[in-house]
Amino acid sequence: MRPKALVALLLSAVLVLTGCGSGGDDSSGDRGGPVKLLVFGAPEELAAYRTLLDAYGKARPGADVQLIEASDRKDLLARLATSVAGGAPPDLFLMNYRFYGQFAAKGVVEPLDERIAGSDVVDPAAYYPVAMDAFTWGGKQLCLPQNVSSLAVYYNRSLFQRYGVPEPKAGWSWNDLVGTATAMTRDSRGLVIKGTESEGAAQRPVVHGLGVEPSIIRLAPFVWSNGGEIVDDPDKPTRLTLDTPAAREALKNLVDLRQAYGVVPTDEEVEAEDDESRFANGRLAMLMTSRRATTNFRTITGFEWDVAPLPVYQKSVGVLHSDAYCMTRGAKNKDAAWRFLEYAIGEEGQKIIAATGRTVPSHIAVSQSPVFLGPAQPPRSAKVFLDAIPTVRALPTVSTWPEIEDLTYGILENAMHRGDKLDDVVRDLDQQTRPLFARGENG
Amino acid sequence: MSGPDPGGLVLDGVSAAYRGTPVLHEVDLTVDRGELLVVLGPSGAGKSTVLRVVAGLEPVTGGRVRIAGRDVTGSRPGRRNVSMVFQSYALFPHLSVAENIAFGLEVRDVPRRTARERARAAAESVGCAALLDRRPGQLSGGERQRVALARALVREPDVFLLDEPLSNLDLALRVEMRAELRALHDRLGATMVHVTHDQTEALVLADRIAVLRDGRVEQVGTPDEIWRTPATRFVARFVGSPAMNLLPADGPVRPRGDSPPGALVTDTGRLEIGFRPEAVTLDAADGAPATVDRVEVVGEDAYAYLTLAGGEPVVARVPAVRRPHRDDSVRVGVRWADTHVFHAATGLRYRP
Amino acid sequence: MSVRPDARSRRQLALMLTPYLVGLVGLVLLPALVTLGLAFTEYDLLRPPTWVGLDNLTALTDDPIFRVALVNSLVFALVAVPLRVLVALGLALLLHRRALGVGSARGAALLPTAVPEIAYGLLWLWLFNPLYGPINQLLRTGGENGLTVLGRTPPQWLTDPTDARAAIILMSLFTMGETFVVLLAARRSLPRDVYEMAALEDATGWDVFRRITLPLMAPVLALLAVRDVVASLHFTFVPAFVVTDGGPPPYSTTYLSLFVYQTGFEYLRYGYAAAATLVMILLTVAAVVVQWRLFRRYRGFYRL
Repeated sequence: MRPKALVALLLSAVLVLTGCGSGGDDSSGDRGGPVKLLVFGAPEELAAYRTLLDAYGKARPGADVQLIEASDRKDLLARLATSVAGGAPPDLFLMNYRFYGQFAAKGVVEPLDERIAGSDVVDPAAYYPVAMDAFTWGGKQLCLPQNVSSLAVYYNRSLFQRYGVPEPKAGWSWNDLVGTATAMTRDSRGLVIKGTESEGAAQRPVVHGLGVEPSIIRLAPFVWSNGGEIVDDPDKPTRLTLDTPAAREALKNLVDLRQAYGVVPTDEEVEAEDDESRFANGRLAMLMTSRRATTNFRTITGFEWDVAPLPVYQKSVGVLHSDAYCMTRGAKNKDAAWRFLEYAIGEEGQKIIAATGRTVPSHIAVSQSPVFLGPAQPPRSAKVFLDAIPTVRALPTVSTWPEIEDLTYGILENAMHRGDKLDDVVRDLDQQTRPLFARGENG
Repeated sequence: MSGPDPGGLVLDGVSAAYRGTPVLHEVDLTVDRGELLVVLGPSGAGKSTVLRVVAGLEPVTGGRVRIAGRDVTGSRPGRRNVSMVFQSYALFPHLSVAENIAFGLEVRDVPRRTARERARAAAESVGCAALLDRRPGQLSGGERQRVALARALVREPDVFLLDEPLSNLDLALRVEMRAELRALHDRLGATMVHVTHDQTEALVLADRIAVLRDGRVEQVGTPDEIWRTPATRFVARFVGSPAMNLLPADGPVRPRGDSPPGALVTDTGRLEIGFRPEAVTLDAADGAPATVDRVEVVGEDAYAYLTLAGGEPVVARVPAVRRPHRDDSVRVGVRWADTHVFHAATGLRYRP
Repeated sequence: MSVRPDARSRRQLALMLTPYLVGLVGLVLLPALVTLGLAFTEYDLLRPPTWVGLDNLTALTDDPIFRVALVNSLVFALVAVPLRVLVALGLALLLHRRALGVGSARGAALLPTAVPEIAYGLLWLWLFNPLYGPINQLLRTGGENGLTVLGRTPPQWLTDPTDARAAIILMSLFTMGETFVVLLAARRSLPRDVYEMAALEDATGWDVFRRITLPLMAPVLALLAVRDVVASLHFTFVPAFVVTDGGPPPYSTTYLSLFVYQTGFEYLRYGYAAAATLVMILLTVAAVVVQWRLFRRYRGFYRL
């Protein structure tokens, strides 16, 4: 045979062999191996998970848990779905209840009731019920929550003191929020400025009063607080119900933050510098967000900050934020994964992750311990998060919720920043989400 | 120097360089109106550069170029009113023959109809009118050559520049085109500069020949002058095939008859004599002894390659019927009247 | 030798092609066929697919987001492809000669193509930053109150729908390095004497471009345009994904590629996404066929 032909044959052989080789890995791989845990998060959050894994490795020598880091929530969803389709899912993944519905509905998540019953570590009663309930699907406990958080108002305490504006306090109203935000919107000379004229005007605000995303999950607690509902049936939703007077008012007030008062940054400014960075850079007096931001804000050295509860319309209502460890049905190391889950959910694990600031522990005792409430690290008023827990409500877990969030975000963003007519906004929200609800599956 | 004809082309001390290396050294050339000058020389002599300098495609580093009385030294090519036929013909492959010929007219905003009519006329004058609708890719070498010629003459330029236009053709076609080119020139009365390395082509075509060597003009003259009185040893050897024999004047071959006055008396050691192969006789009684190395028969003629007793080579042309054979001993003779005498050191022709 | 040379060379050819064909079939054609098959199923990646016939395709015709994505993709291809080829052609004609700094200029023109896609996206995210980004900083120089010198608001790259579409096109323009290299090579391979001929005929630069350069390069240009049309569905993805996230709302820069990705991998509607992919492929084929017919007559040029 000619040399060239020989080379070609060799090349094909190598290709076939490597092809077989990689196929072989999947089928005959060591079923022991490390427990794979799929998470996403900011660098500070990922560091928190690595701390937890290190501690677990020390506590249980020989146990091996491998962290798989997705770049963001969407990446995590895509990776989870494709790995399940490919037959090699991670053993565990960490996911918000708002997004786990599509996996729960499609039988990807392993129910944990039997393991919980057989465990002498996990006691369901030791956890906040609202979080536990958010992860039940069809009567089964699918995932175990690691944290339970509500929306809170982070504020720049130093800035409030400099301008002599009273700090937000429990029981404040929406009007108080607007008033405070207006008073905190300042120009470069430190004078109060009306941010509505900022585009093309002589000066842009250097400090904005408030940062809040125009999203359904930020809007929801205020709709509830005002006596409205966001969906017709929380268990089997078929449509958004933002057309009621109570919901409309809450929506209008949210939009007015930009359109009437100009206390939140414009879309251009948000694109230039997102709210979290703006707050961390001392150019945002208040920021409405969940506990997640804490790890990032603990790196702030330039000023003092704290948290306050959400303002109230008629009654105090919060919106649940909770992430849980879920085991995949196709996991290869279910027992080892469960052992890690026990540790992470248990007192020890929760203390470790709470110490990083990432979570409000879902474990009641840990959340009330100094690990979470202690004054060593900001926020001083960490109790705000705990006080909100009895009032929090969960968002629907319908399987198409991620799509609904994305779709409504676009509409709400245009309402807030472009000033779309409220009637159109409410109508679009309803009409465009109906097919998504219709396609959804419920637990 | 007589006053230049205002209708022709004058190169006055033109120098040129290519990437810093001098290619032409103060070249003086005059082409009269209606004259066909052939620039002859070996490759690398700078022949094409002469054309490119005239056309304005290469800048001069010294001297002036005048066309039809205008100093065009600094003018861009399009303003010199010259036409050029490239060795490769440089036809536009995407245009039809008609469009190719009319190109120069159309970019000069000659109305389309007029341009096409003139293109047709030009094509007819070189016998390629039947090809007008074809594309260059569909033409043979000779046809392309005609198209290139038609394109050159459609614009009626002051000077035609032809850069080895026949070198890509086979011999028969070359001979035919050579004749046609000469006829065309005579018919148009055009001023032409034709570059070639083929001495036969030069002798046949030219009104006058300029022999170029290493960027310098060795000699300018009619074909007859170039042939009969080559000004230098280089010209003598370059024109004529096989090349002229060269021997020291005091060497083994002693020409018969009257020698140039004084030459051999005063300068024997520093002169060389040259004689063409056809001037050699092989049976001279007092000739120099030589042996025959090989014999080439070309039809009626035969070329005998000889070696003299001292090892010097000599070529002789003899009628084929009387040719010697290999290893024959012959006696080489030549007459003074058939010899050219050169200074050995400078190569210049000896003028008594 | 019992084997005839041409049979042997054919066998050798087959052997040489085998590795490529194995890869092509196994890694490209089979998955593509499977995907196309899935276009007629409902498949969420998690449960086995179920046959739904043409439901996905009919649903696509009613899907407003798909329609927007389709229009966005078509507009992008219509604007970006000619612009990319023109910019590359302009640069190639500018930089085909030897001159001082030409080498560095060629390198600079190529450089963005060598940047990994995600990094390229992040770079532009910074460049496009409406307040602090260098582009708008530059546009504001000399102006007052955050306006340009002409008293206009600088482009709002990330928040205005039209500006954002322009931003994506702008991003795609700078990755024409490959096209540029091909055109540079094509231009440099054109015979020099043809241009000298034109110079002798006193053709203007425009005449030379229009009557010589353009027609001579037309076959290459056509090929590159076809390639760019095929690739345009691809090179909208990363910019839209990284820089604009499909926005500004609603869906100003959601192109088919992003629509397919979101539908398939974020919303787990893989069958539906496959149907959209099918439409994408059919469109591409149609575009290629149309262009090929338009440009076919020019192929005669090179029949030398």
